Amino acid sequence: MTVERTVRVLLSSLVCSLPSANSRDRRLSVWTILLTYHVAFLEGLKVTLALCAITWGVGLVSGIGLGTLGAHAPVTWGRFSRGAAFVFSSIPALVILFWLHYPAQAAFELVINPFYTAALALTLINTFAVGEMVREAVSDFPRQYITAGQVCGMRGRDIVRYVQLPILFRQLLPGLMVQQVAMLHASLFASLISVEEIFRVAQRINSTIYRPVEIYTALALFFLVVCLPINLFAAYLKKRYTRDTSER
Amino acid sequence: MLSVRNLTFGYGTERPVFAGVDLDIAPRSITVLIGPSGTGKTTLLRCLALLEKPQTGLIQLDDQAYAYPWPADRTFVPPWPHLTAVFQQLFLWPHLTLRENVLLPVRLKGTAHADEELDELVQAFDLGSFIDRYPNEASLGQRQRVALARALMLKPRYILLDEITSALDVEQVANILAYLKELRSRDIGIFLITHLLSFARHAADQVLFMADGSIVERGTSEILRAPQTERLGAFLSVIAAAS
Repeated sequence: MTVERTVRVLLSSLVCSLPSANSRDRRLSVWTILLTYHVAFLEGLKVTLALCAITWGVGLVSGIGLGTLGAHAPVTWGRFSRGAAFVFSSIPALVILFWLHYPAQAAFELVINPFYTAALALTLINTFAVGEMVREAVSDFPRQYITAGQVCGMRGRDIVRYVQLPILFRQLLPGLMVQQVAMLHASLFASLISVEEIFRVAQRINSTIYRPVEIYTALALFFLVVCLPINLFAAYLKKRYTRDTSER
Repeated sequence: MLSVRNLTFGYGTERPVFAGVDLDIAPRSITVLIGPSGTGKTTLLRCLALLEKPQTGLIQLDDQAYAYPWPADRTFVPPWPHLTAVFQQLFLWPHLTLRENVLLPVRLKGTAHADEELDELVQAFDLGSFIDRYPNEASLGQRQRVALARALMLKPRYILLDEITSALDVEQVANILAYLKELRSRDIGIFLITHLLSFARHAADQVLFMADGSIVERGTSEILRAPQTERLGAFLSVIAAAS
C-alpha cells in the first residue's frame, strides 16, 4: 500500500465507511464506532488511566528517590540504579509482563489480579528509567552553583531548594515528559495479560465487527485526547520554567 | 585577622600544589597575590575560602581556628558569608536574573532594606541597564560586576577575589578598584588575585608573589619596584616586555 493510499484510507475511515466484507457493517465510520462503543471505550480508558496513574505517580516518586540515593551513594545505590535501569530498558516490557504474570506467580504460588501485575511491571520500568535520569542529572550537577551558594552563606537546604531543584527541574522536565508518554504507550501491553484496558477493548470490538482501521483510528483519537493535556502541561511548564541559558 | 600558617595542599600522593604557605590578611587592608599561571593561586584562594581541605596547616579566621588535617569527628563551622569569595568563573545561577542572583542570598538572610542597598551598588557599578537580564544575556564584564555586587551585598568582613577584573575595560577597572579602596576603609579585609600590577602598586598594603607552589616574595608594593628575588624580577621583566 502506498503512503498516499494509506493516508486516503485513514482519512476516509474518519468520515465515511469503507467497503467491507460484511454488508451489515458497511456504514461504520470511526465516528459511528465511537458512538456505538463509547461506553466500552470509556471503560477501557478508565483502566488505562488508572494503570498510568499508578505507573506515573509511583514511578516518578520512587524514581526520583532512587536517583537521588544513587547520586549520593554511587557505589551502592548508584550501581544498583544503573544496573537495574540497564536491565529494565533492555528487556521488552512485554517480556517483563509475562515473567511477572506467569512464571513469577507460579514460582511463588500466587494469583494476582493482572491489573496489579501490569501496574507493578510498568511501575518498575518507569522507576528505573526515571531513577537513572535523576541520578545522572544530580551526579553531573555543576558543583560551582553549590559553591556560589555556600560562599554566599546559604544553608544547605536553601541551596537545594532555590538553586539545585529549579535547575534540575528545568533540565529533567523534557526527558521525564517523554518517558511518561512512553509509559502510556507501554500500557497497551497490559492487554496481553488480559487487563481490560483500552487496547484490549479495541481488540474485542474488532473481533466482533472486524473494522481494524476504523477501530485503531478511534483508539488513536483516545490517545491523542489523553496526550493533549500532557503536552499542553509540558508546554506550560517549559514556557514557565525553562529558557535558553546558552552563553551569547 | 585571617591568618594562614604552614598551609600545604595537594591531590593524593602527587607533589603538593603549594606547601608551607604563611600569610595574614588584616581587616582594613588589601592583599594582592600575583604570580605566573598554574602556580596554585586559585587553589590557595579556595583553601582560604575553606572550600578545599588542605593536607596540613592552620587557618585562623578571627576567633575561629580550622586546623588540618581535619579530624573526622570535628564539626565544621562554615565561615560564610563573614568570609566570602568571588571566583574567576563567577558562578552566577543561570535560572535567575542578575537582580535575583544578588538578592537571593540576602533575602534568605532576612536582611532588611536589601533593595535600597542593591540600588546603591547598581549606581556604584553602573548595573542599571542590565540588572534584570539573565546571566547568559549579559557580557562577561557585566557579570563580573554583578558577581562582585552579590558578594558585597552580604557585608563580608573578608572578601577573596580571583581575577574579577579580567574582562573589564579600563574605565570599569578603575571604578571597581576605587570601590575596593573604599571597601578597605569600611574595615573589610580584601585578598585579590590579579595581573593588574598597576593596582598592586597604587593600592595594595601587602603584595605576595607566588611561584612554584610557594610564596617566594612578600612585602609592600615596593617589591614591585625593587624585587628581592630573581624569580620575581624575572616575572616582572616578562610582564614589562609583554606590555
